[in-house]
Amino acid sequence: MEFRFDIVKEYAYLFLEGTLLTIGLSLAGIVIGLIMGLFIGIGKLSKNKWINIPLDWYITFFRGTPLFVQILLIHFGAVPFIIGDTNAIFAGITSLSLNAAAYIAEIFRAGIQSIDKGQMEAARSLGMNHSESMLHVILPQAVKRMIPPLGNEFIVLIKESSLLAIIAVPELMYWGRAMQGQYYRVWEPYITVALIYLVLTLTLSKLLNFVERKWATG
Amino acid sequence: MNKASIKGVFIVILIALMGVLVACSESATGDGKKKLEVITEAAYAPFEYMDGDQIVGFDIDFIDTVMKEAGYDYEVKNIGWDPLFAEIQGERADIGISAITINEDRKQTYDFSVPYFESTNMILVPEGSDIQGAEDLKGKVVAVQNGTTGQAAVETLFGTNHEDIKKFENNVLAIMELVKGGADAVVADNTVVIEYVKNNPDKKLKAIKDPNSFDSEFYGLMFPKDSELKKDFDKAIKAVIEDGTYSKLYKEWFGEEPDLKALKAQLNK
Repeated sequence: MEFRFDIVKEYAYLFLEGTLLTIGLSLAGIVIGLIMGLFIGIGKLSKNKWINIPLDWYITFFRGTPLFVQILLIHFGAVPFIIGDTNAIFAGITSLSLNAAAYIAEIFRAGIQSIDKGQMEAARSLGMNHSESMLHVILPQAVKRMIPPLGNEFIVLIKESSLLAIIAVPELMYWGRAMQGQYYRVWEPYITVALIYLVLTLTLSKLLNFVERKWATG
Repeated sequence: MNKASIKGVFIVILIALMGVLVACSESATGDGKKKLEVITEAAYAPFEYMDGDQIVGFDIDFIDTVMKEAGYDYEVKNIGWDPLFAEIQGERADIGISAITINEDRKQTYDFSVPYFESTNMILVPEGSDIQGAEDLKGKVVAVQNGTTGQAAVETLFGTNHEDIKKFENNVLAIMELVKGGADAVVADNTVVIEYVKNNPDKKLKAIKDPNSFDSEFYGLMFPKDSELKKDFDKAIKAVIEDGTYSKLYKEWFGEEPDLKALKAQLNK
């Protein structure tokens, strides 16, 4: 079966634009997800049930329902309710961030809990308060242990951003679908798109390996 | 495991995979008198859709009539939109019927029968919209279903892959985008648009016709490139259109007599 490079070339520019948007959406999802995940993870360790229980529900919902469904609910339900209009990119960043935050919260919680209790006790007995001990003693140690699972989550996030094609976010997968619609050919668009995703995730995993090695010795 | 035995395992897996591939391709060829395999995506009412576990629709009844006319035995399978093209391109199925629009880009890869259905596009807008026809769409955001005649019609106006065109997986999502304010109009097949307006009066939408700006699009049966079946089916399609069977079927599904002028002009080209 012949592979038509001419139509891949025709879509090259759109694939490039789509790739940039995929990178942007994933980065936004990672950054917002990290910040939210940190607070949710710490909040979940709180003994106050007014903080603890809603956060537990949050994680249950976003981990327990498919991202695909969340994207549709946020795009056609939540976003029009808040801003009165649909906005695919806004909905895309929102759903990726909210979903990632739920997973990242659990990674943070597990990371923090994996640090020996004695560390907190030692920091407190040196006169630090709870937040100071968290910030200067517990988190720096916990973060090192979180890098492998966080890296995993980031890679998943890049790949899952492809689901945003369903709400017509013009990212990489969207242009793959458009190419399929124009020529009714499936191999050229999907193999090309798969290769580009592979390059993105490979680059990210190399980067994370580097960070992990650097922090391990430092 | 040492290196040599790992290599051995790889070779065994490779041979097993090749065996599977050979078995697959053999079952697809076979002798000339076999049952034809017709494939579709049964998710485009009223052309083809699932009624319980049965595939029904205009296309399904139409292919039945044509098969009888051409004297072939066949079987219809619902396999989905993307797989449909992979199967036909790989020659693992004989005919695709799924309200598939014939166009030049697609003819590079597939063979199509003579057209069997004329589709016109309509514009769906909210009541009170200032859009009166296709010309008013310029500068507006239009939602369409990816790979449909509606998309083709808007791309003729705007240019291929224009940023004001939002392509959705299906018409329901495209219309939802319109209802929620993310698009100013939807362009889709007249049958789809009229059905939607009729079934959803609470959404306050109206359908606009613009035959002057939108060219008709035609659906065809899709074959692998250089299929020998094309000749037989072209003849059969012409026959059922000429003898009135087609019109009867059309009336059954769409509630009115078809206007065969444009279709017949295509057949006689």
